[in-house]
Amino acid sequence: MTCETAESVRQRRATVRYMRDMALAGAIYVACVFAAALAVRQLDPPQWAKIVLALIPLAPALLMLRAYLVNLNSMDEFQRRMQTDALLITTGVVVFGSFAWGFLEEWAGLPRVGMLWVFPVFSMLFGIVHMVIRFRNR
Amino acid sequence: MRNRLKVLRAERNWSQADLADKLDVSRQSVNAIETGKYDPSLPLAFKIAKVFALPIEQIFSDDELAQAAE
Repeated sequence: MTCETAESVRQRRATVRYMRDMALAGAIYVACVFAAALAVRQLDPPQWAKIVLALIPLAPALLMLRAYLVNLNSMDEFQRRMQTDALLITTGVVVFGSFAWGFLEEWAGLPRVGMLWVFPVFSMLFGIVHMVIRFRNR
Repeated sequence: MRNRLKVLRAERNWSQADLADKLDVSRQSVNAIETGKYDPSLPLAFKIAKVFALPIEQIFSDDELAQAAE
């Protein structure tokens, strides 16, 4: 029989809530991207409507950010320290990586990479860096 | 900073999870403090002192001062 402490129960609940909110925001994000892309391609709306449609996926992305911040607030100080360490490392790598790639595009003719990739690359890299930090402090 | 968390916990026969529960932090955090990977904030240090019913300076000590005393 496992003896679960009140703190571990509280943390498990916070994690479940985080996963649920993220899954919901992710599902809305996918639906928004498909709906907006379909509308832009099929309806050929005016420019102002294209701008509005292009920004629609931002709303569920903000829901993801909200879920992350709620989860961050449920953490203790050491867990938050690991999060900020991971955020700083990821920000450094993505900022300097995109900066370097910009020069490579301009001067060395490397293929253009859209700004759209910054968020997914950042999220994925943050996940990996945070996993490594957690593993080192397990 | 040095601390006697592991010794004090062992004296009371508490697991890391038990202490984590008393402090409202994760077991990982207790482990990080015990192994010196993380120095707790002042409020958490006071909470630790309260849980062990000891003055803070009997749990935590400065590295340089501890070395000088040895």
